[in-house]
Amino acid sequence: MFLFIVKRLVLLVPVFFVVSVVVFLIIHLVPGDPIDNLLRAGSSTAQRVQIAAKYGLDRSLAEQYFVWMRRLVSGDLGTSIIQGRPVGALIAQNLPYSLQLGGAALLFSALTGIAAGVLAASFHGTKLDDGISGLILLGSTVPSFWLGLLLILVFAVWLGWVPISGARGWTSLILPVIATGIGGIALVARVTRIAMIETARQDFVMLLHAKGLSPAIIQVRHVLRHALVPVVTILALRIGWILGGTVTIEYVFARPGLGSLLIRALNQRDYPLVQACLLMLAMAVILGTLLGDIIQAAMDPRQREVRS
Amino acid sequence: MNRREFLTSASVVTLGIGLGLTSGLPAYAAESEAVIVLGSAEAGAPNQDPIRASLLSLASNLIYDRLVEQDDDQSYHPHLAESWETDADGMNWTFKLRQGVTFHDGEPFNAAAVVWWIGKYKGSVNEYMTAAIDRVEAVDDHTVRFVMKRPEPNLIFNLAAVFMGIPSPKSYEAAGDSYGVTEAIGTGPYKLESFVVGQEIVLVANEDYAWGTALSENQGAPHIKRLTLREIPDSSTAFLELKTGGVGMLSSVPDEFLPQLQKEKQVSFRDLPGMGVTYLIFNSRSEPFSDITMRQATALAVDQNAVLKSVYSGVGREAHQFLISSLAESKVDPQFEIRHDPDKARKLLDAAGWTVGGDGIRTKDNKRLRIKFWTRSETEFKRIAEVVQAQLKAVGMETEIVTFDNTTLRDQLRKGEHQLVVSHYDWNNADILDWCFSAKNIPAPNSAMWNDAKSEELHDIAMLHSKNWDERVANFKKYQEHLLSQYAFAPLHEPAQNTAYNKDLLEVPERIRGPQLGQSTIVDMKAVQ
Repeated sequence: MFLFIVKRLVLLVPVFFVVSVVVFLIIHLVPGDPIDNLLRAGSSTAQRVQIAAKYGLDRSLAEQYFVWMRRLVSGDLGTSIIQGRPVGALIAQNLPYSLQLGGAALLFSALTGIAAGVLAASFHGTKLDDGISGLILLGSTVPSFWLGLLLILVFAVWLGWVPISGARGWTSLILPVIATGIGGIALVARVTRIAMIETARQDFVMLLHAKGLSPAIIQVRHVLRHALVPVVTILALRIGWILGGTVTIEYVFARPGLGSLLIRALNQRDYPLVQACLLMLAMAVILGTLLGDIIQAAMDPRQREVRS
Repeated sequence: MNRREFLTSASVVTLGIGLGLTSGLPAYAAESEAVIVLGSAEAGAPNQDPIRASLLSLASNLIYDRLVEQDDDQSYHPHLAESWETDADGMNWTFKLRQGVTFHDGEPFNAAAVVWWIGKYKGSVNEYMTAAIDRVEAVDDHTVRFVMKRPEPNLIFNLAAVFMGIPSPKSYEAAGDSYGVTEAIGTGPYKLESFVVGQEIVLVANEDYAWGTALSENQGAPHIKRLTLREIPDSSTAFLELKTGGVGMLSSVPDEFLPQLQKEKQVSFRDLPGMGVTYLIFNSRSEPFSDITMRQATALAVDQNAVLKSVYSGVGREAHQFLISSLAESKVDPQFEIRHDPDKARKLLDAAGWTVGGDGIRTKDNKRLRIKFWTRSETEFKRIAEVVQAQLKAVGMETEIVTFDNTTLRDQLRKGEHQLVVSHYDWNNADILDWCFSAKNIPAPNSAMWNDAKSEELHDIAMLHSKNWDERVANFKKYQEHLLSQYAFAPLHEPAQNTAYNKDLLEVPERIRGPQLGQSTIVDMKAVQ
């Protein structure tokens, strides 16, 4: 197991460098530059040159990449051109909000999704199964942006139970979590349902029935546990998405977060900030996948043996 | 660790991430407070440092005072400078400073602070604002003299800008690079309490304040004791917050939301004169707009009234010249103003040899009159392009609309492949003419690629050889009249600045003083008890 984790971590190094090159090139090759966003009417053209020199934008792309990499390796993410503050500090300021919303949304969609999947599988082929599947499909096709506004209208404006927007306290987290999590429920529920139905057809389940265990215990303690392996994989893949995938929700609910930080930086072509955010999101996806593999290995002895 | 333990600890970690980071609710005092939503133009201002920032919000306007204040008619009034005078050649400016003013950290405001402050601009992104000043001398403890490198009447405009708020020298030097983020110390009516970039800025009243300007009724401490400035990117959310009383005021309402807000009986409005103009750029370096006849015909084909009515539902005003209407330089001789005249446009095109073909589009030497028409991706700009497209078609010009996001468009304009472009600027000074049309600014921001000898001559007189403000106004008028006579651009629209507030929460003075919502108005605002 230990060897397996070490091997996977070593493999991350080349991946990291490839990702960094791609991230660097993407933002430098799109049209536009950050200096336009710094200069106001009245400033001179000489100032343009001066700012470009200050941030090294007058050097070749390769040189700029190596300067960035050298600093990155020593733990320095650079300084935002537009905001004039260390990129590390900006990310540290926004990360907790993203983790809070993304983590809670993941938890919400995992718990609700698994529960819905178990219910649908246990009543496989009945009206209840059809009903749950239908509702879930509907929920997953509604755009989160629109759902967010609708939730605000009902629960904040008409009923007045929760604040409309902002990030003050836990009550302001409820609506964004629901709006973000709904999309994830469908995926989790469908995977859970299929996996459970398939597991229920296996011989060992027949044996458990033959031993006279109650159907409820068989479903929850044996079938669900086997069925959870693919569900965990799906959830792990969504860890990267937790950090950056909530942009529209952050926008509607006026919440800060990495998504909003990245979008604003992209619009202003704030190179160091965009590079750091994208690199971090890419690494989060990769680490999420790794985490998923580790959890899967921990849950399934056969996987563990094959891999180590 | 066995399987069960592993799974348990994994779930605990997930729970922790999800819930553990929830921050506590800040305590709110019962005393008068208000929440204002910042406009999108000032959203994301990363710090409150007037010297080094390139974007500042309303908060900086409230934390700092300036030497002079500007009113909504763009006139100038004393603030931390009680009076000032300029000698005849414009080479010396003497300011009498107000006495008894202190910074939030208790330090006195005096001549030494001004000498230090002007010196700090050297090497900053705002250096150009003080570039004409050679040195600052302290004549006595409350008198300073600015010795100029060249006459610069526009210095008064710079001194009234939010970028020329005066910070406390002691706190500024002590804080170093973190100044403006964790602390911001000025002499203004509000003190900074907390600041989360992109989220909210909490300000508390400066109870020692006794040096308000004549623009406000209240010259003492502000009535509203606790002021929160929030950023809400989505207009629909901001609208719902205002409607339900979650916030008291929207400092800037997009025009498309006005009709909806007007239906709410608890919402009231205050209008301010515009801060910018929307116009058409002609690329004067390439066909067909290198020819003045084509520029003139296009400019005359545009109906500003139709833009006002169909895009802005009558809000704002028609633009017939380049500058915002509250500037004295905008009052050009009416014969130079560009007004809708489709008949003349058709005659000009006929005379130039462009004949109307079967489908209503003109041709000349078997070439169709087809123009590349670029615009920004925001709804407002797309709709303007569509309205103008129809108007140009009416005189026989075919246009092909292409939209770009703003940053990409700016980059595309540098390449010089454009023909006709919808553009907009926000600036309340006539020197926007220099920014957009002086030859030194080709290819950007002079996207018209405008370069003619007479314009350059008039430009230099206006920018560099005006000795005082009145002379500057006259020189800029002449410069603009020449640009208008050359049809260097086609003016379209001057959007209004709309402010909306909740009547159940706030009392707002009838007239908003200053070019934008700021200190002079906010100190007079009251919370409804």
